[in-house]
Amino acid sequence: MSLFETVVYFGALGLELVLLWRAGRCRILKGFPFFYSYLVYDVCCSFVIFVAYWIRPSVYPTAYWLNFLLSSVVEFAVLLEISDHIFQPYPAIRHLGRALTILISFTFALVYILPAILQSHEPSSTLLDFALRASVTKAVILAVLVFTAHHFGLRLGKNVAGLMLGFSIYLGVNVANFAAAENFGRALYTRVLWVMSPFAFTLCLLVWTIALWELAPMPRTDSVRPAAEGNAEALTLELARFNGALSRFLHR
Amino acid sequence: MITLIYAGIAIGFLILVLGLLARTQPEKPDEGLAGKDYAQCLGDARWLDLSERIFDPSDARWLRKELAFPKLANSLTRARKRLAIRWLKALQASFGDLVRRPEPVSSDTPLANSTPSWQMLWLTVRFQFLLLYALLVVRLFGPYHRLIPSFTWIPFPQKGASRIRSVLADNTDLN
Repeated sequence: MSLFETVVYFGALGLELVLLWRAGRCRILKGFPFFYSYLVYDVCCSFVIFVAYWIRPSVYPTAYWLNFLLSSVVEFAVLLEISDHIFQPYPAIRHLGRALTILISFTFALVYILPAILQSHEPSSTLLDFALRASVTKAVILAVLVFTAHHFGLRLGKNVAGLMLGFSIYLGVNVANFAAAENFGRALYTRVLWVMSPFAFTLCLLVWTIALWELAPMPRTDSVRPAAEGNAEALTLELARFNGALSRFLHR
Repeated sequence: MITLIYAGIAIGFLILVLGLLARTQPEKPDEGLAGKDYAQCLGDARWLDLSERIFDPSDARWLRKELAFPKLANSLTRARKRLAIRWLKALQASFGDLVRRPEPVSSDTPLANSTPSWQMLWLTVRFQFLLLYALLVVRLFGPYHRLIPSFTWIPFPQKGASRIRSVLADNTDLN
């Protein structure tokens, strides 16, 4: 392990442990269950890979690539967390984030990811192609979530905005990095490009640590009065009234 | 070439997310209200009369056919088109206020858990879809275009559908 690898590895692990420590101290764990589950998973995997590297080096490559593959899937948990938190204070669109995340994930899996995997023959290029396409899918989900929040004029709290910012940096670097690796070959990736993803992840963890240092509630829209308690049916009927007003003009 | 495309996607994605994140940060009170054109309450008969007038082609037809002023009729149609777009945007702004209505802080049982929240989501998505379509049609063909499908094939959710239909019927009766 080179000095750079050691610094990046222990830097990322240290930041993850700080995040978990702050979450326990400030009682944020309950508020972000998917996100902290993902962090616990990543800490455990990092520990197992580290042990494998020192005790059984022959197992290390398999463990590394298995973790690489699983992490690409588990990272969707961060998106679920973000999508839940953006729309949580608003009863009318509470499930919009999760619906969008699931819909885009399944659509991209069927149309964009699966065909590429089925057509590919070489395992290493399949793995990189999968990582690239999974990163593009996550980037699209994140972009759609931010755009939807902007469309509805929602305000984002420090915690969620930080989660999004950190993950955007990580995904942006990953997309460019995996595309370069796929295009220029495995040799260049093994020698140079492999450092980009761990470095971007460490940067992402740094942003997350700053954003989640303490619990910051989602800001409320001051100009809009809150829904009356227990009056969700009235809200539903008001939504229906708006639909009716618009439908009337389309029926003319 | 593919690498360049993906690099472009990555840079575009970062710029989009950072730009939109900067714009969705908490703002000063009342700043969000500045410059917005809010629709009045849907129950206001005068406001509904105004919208009826905007989308009514009889004035333009009267100018064109009975008074034989085609240029004036075209000018009126263009003005009505601008008004129709403003009316639709005002409706959208009012709907946005309704959607952004937060849950009361003191509430023990979240609204979305105690009621069919998926039904609310469906109504929100349906409205956004219809509004997008209406804006597109008005922009492309003007406010008097008649080739607009009824959208009755888009169903309301079964649960609470009867109440919603009665609200829609009330809306129709207003006219």
